[in-house]
Amino acid sequence: MDAKVIKPEAEGRDDNALKIVGTSPVRPDGVPKVTGLARYGADFALPGMLWGAILRSPHAHARIRAIDTSKAGSLTGVKAVITSADFPEQKYEFVGPERVAINFWHMTRNVMAREKVLYEGHAVAAVAATSKAIAEAALRLIEVDYEPLPHVIDVDAAMQPDAPLLFEDMITRGVEPPPKNASNISKRTELNLGDVDAGFAAADEIVEMSFKTAPVHQGYIEPHACLARFDAKGQGEIWAASQGHFVVRAFTARLLNMNIGDVLVHPAEIGGGFGGKTVIYVEPLAAALSRKCGHPVKIMMSREDVFKSTGPTSGSSMTVKIGARKDGTLVAADGLFKFQAGAFPGSPVMNATMCGFAPYNIPNVRSVGYDVVCNRPKSAAYRAPGSPISAFAVESVMDALAAKLGMDPLKFRLMNACKTGTPTAWGPKHAHDGYAETVKALLAHPAYAAPLGKNQGRGFASGFWFNNGGESSATVHVNEDGTVVVATGSMDIGGSRASMAIMAAETLGIAYDDVRAIVADTASIGYTHVTGGSRVTFATGIAVVEACRKVIAELCARAAMIWKLEPGEVIWENGCARPADAAAGKLEPMPLKAIAAKRALTGGPIGAEASVNAGGAAPGFATELCDVEVDPETGGVKILRFIVAQDVGRAIHRSYVEGQMEGGAVQGIGWALNEEYIYDDAGRLLNAGFLDYRIPVASDLPMIETVLVEVPNPNHPYGAKGVGEVNIVPAMAAVANAINNAIGRRLTELPMSPPKVLAAIHSGQK
Amino acid sequence: MNAAPVHVVLISSHSGHYTGGVKEFEIEAKTLHDVIRVLDQRYPGLGEHLEEETSVAIDGEIHEVAYFHPMRPGGEVYFIPKIEGG
Repeated sequence: MDAKVIKPEAEGRDDNALKIVGTSPVRPDGVPKVTGLARYGADFALPGMLWGAILRSPHAHARIRAIDTSKAGSLTGVKAVITSADFPEQKYEFVGPERVAINFWHMTRNVMAREKVLYEGHAVAAVAATSKAIAEAALRLIEVDYEPLPHVIDVDAAMQPDAPLLFEDMITRGVEPPPKNASNISKRTELNLGDVDAGFAAADEIVEMSFKTAPVHQGYIEPHACLARFDAKGQGEIWAASQGHFVVRAFTARLLNMNIGDVLVHPAEIGGGFGGKTVIYVEPLAAALSRKCGHPVKIMMSREDVFKSTGPTSGSSMTVKIGARKDGTLVAADGLFKFQAGAFPGSPVMNATMCGFAPYNIPNVRSVGYDVVCNRPKSAAYRAPGSPISAFAVESVMDALAAKLGMDPLKFRLMNACKTGTPTAWGPKHAHDGYAETVKALLAHPAYAAPLGKNQGRGFASGFWFNNGGESSATVHVNEDGTVVVATGSMDIGGSRASMAIMAAETLGIAYDDVRAIVADTASIGYTHVTGGSRVTFATGIAVVEACRKVIAELCARAAMIWKLEPGEVIWENGCARPADAAAGKLEPMPLKAIAAKRALTGGPIGAEASVNAGGAAPGFATELCDVEVDPETGGVKILRFIVAQDVGRAIHRSYVEGQMEGGAVQGIGWALNEEYIYDDAGRLLNAGFLDYRIPVASDLPMIETVLVEVPNPNHPYGAKGVGEVNIVPAMAAVANAINNAIGRRLTELPMSPPKVLAAIHSGQK
Repeated sequence: MNAAPVHVVLISSHSGHYTGGVKEFEIEAKTLHDVIRVLDQRYPGLGEHLEEETSVAIDGEIHEVAYFHPMRPGGEVYFIPKIEGG
């Protein structure tokens, strides 16, 4: 692990006071994972359990005339068959925030098709049987009468007036007056800052380019799986791997018309999610089957199911124009971002419009987004959803503009870097620094000026992600022997059990190994929002620290009782209670273990809960350097060196933070060079497996180098900022800019696979 | 109320349905709850929209909408779309 830590002295913090925060102790999830003892969604079983299987659409777009399940239902061993008729209809309304507004009318149709199938792999029926083989045989007995319809996948094609319509009554939202005709355009959004036309009029140099990006899957290794059962009272339990078991509970209850309190969700270990497990697919189906037959039902997706029926992030079509004065000062930017939403509205295009220009101080900005439905699975969140896509366009244009101005691309970015007080395109001013520090980190890095060889090139790019806060709950309980259990409602997808244990140990002043961190089920801890948006170390961490502080107050009160002092006369220091004033007499500090031993004498078990709605999550910034070598004969691109400089606030578990940065970079490299969905003329996916959908493997990559830039967030007790997402944002543009530097040709379409690179080399275009 | 005016901006496009397109306001408020109440009194239904469907940036810091946030004299409040992540 080649990590470097940048600590801006201006922050004036006292790292010496921290004993555990910033170290890399053994991960609590590490040994169970590498020894096979961790229990994932597919690892759970119950007596009398049945196997569920799902019938999926062979068509990209078709009307369902009829479904006959009678033969399947009468097959020996089949205990239940369900179709959309087993789910209550949902009201057509968008609820929740407009960026990710949920429409349960759409959601129930996504988990089980009703009037139409809208993509190959769309679920149309499901069965539960006593064996997998019987369940599969039963699927073949279900007769579905389809009326195939023309399909559309490409976003530009889907926006054409004569495109096949997924919804014959969809009128574009966000346009006044509303269009008279239906289209596949679900929504239009627009952000404005200043006067864009006047800004471009003042520009000396302008670069305008258009781009396309392929949709890519999150590529988590663990397919979706769950086990569900119902008891005689009609209450359900679900064991599932997800990024938010409270969301699984809420969505499943809604789709089955149940009270939230009648569904209990147990969190399983998760084998990757990257945003793709913030939604539900198999859970309501397993629950509906179980409710119908009275047996526990398990459903496991195959890899093919994952590719064909779960949400990738959007493919896009974009045009970005940026203008600057001769001295390099940015004066205007204009972005048009068109995103595939998949079969139902809800792409991350609004994020893209908000994030694209966010690293820069640009006085005049227009950023327009279109959310467009098409015949592929509904898009789901993927690591800083939307931001990497717009960054590919914006950062490519920034690179071209720097070249046109004759400026160093990093110094050009630095002179236009946002800082506290810089207006954003969506209105508020930035409240935190951190971006410029990431650029400076690379300018100071030896790699910045290292020589390059033949056919080699170097590229830079930057990125922004909001990072989130929100609702989280934690409990801290002192065991009889003085060890501590920390329970939270946050699924651990990126090391949160380790970081929670570190923050608890640091706050309590005890050893890391004396803290056991767990993820509690939905009946055992307060509501906690999803593990997503890089929010957990920040928000749930605040809840853990608050709970620890309550425990400390109680420990001090217990020690005061033992010493016959008033509670206010005892303080907590280095893991011990001690009198606040020497006047109390010569009393040895009383460690937590000694107080725990007298818990019964002083009032019983010691513990506390804290629930927060945490705000003030400072955003993440990253700047990346990529060195490539391009094979002029094959067009193959080899990544020689890749450096991630990221503002992490303050690293809580250092090696886990480095791992997040490495992982984001690797996923971005895959998005840049290899990953794409390949469809046949009928809209059927041809590469639904990891042999043909090629994510990077270790042999494709150099060791990713990390530079941890630490600009602490004053709104977190230890200065933490979310670190899980922004590292993917600059990656595709960094690779593209490096390729351009190597071959003198700018690629504007992802993935930059060998045939495209070769074609660019052989083209006369620059 | 004896509180300093706060500059309030509605970024959420849906807000315009309630306000007839008016996006900026000067409101005397001690807390975010005051801001929401005043806006809801002027535009019935807007309060629920802001509470349920937006986040808020208070002097640039992004928070979930919650009543208790204090308002700084001359502060800036932007109601913005909620942000989800991966």
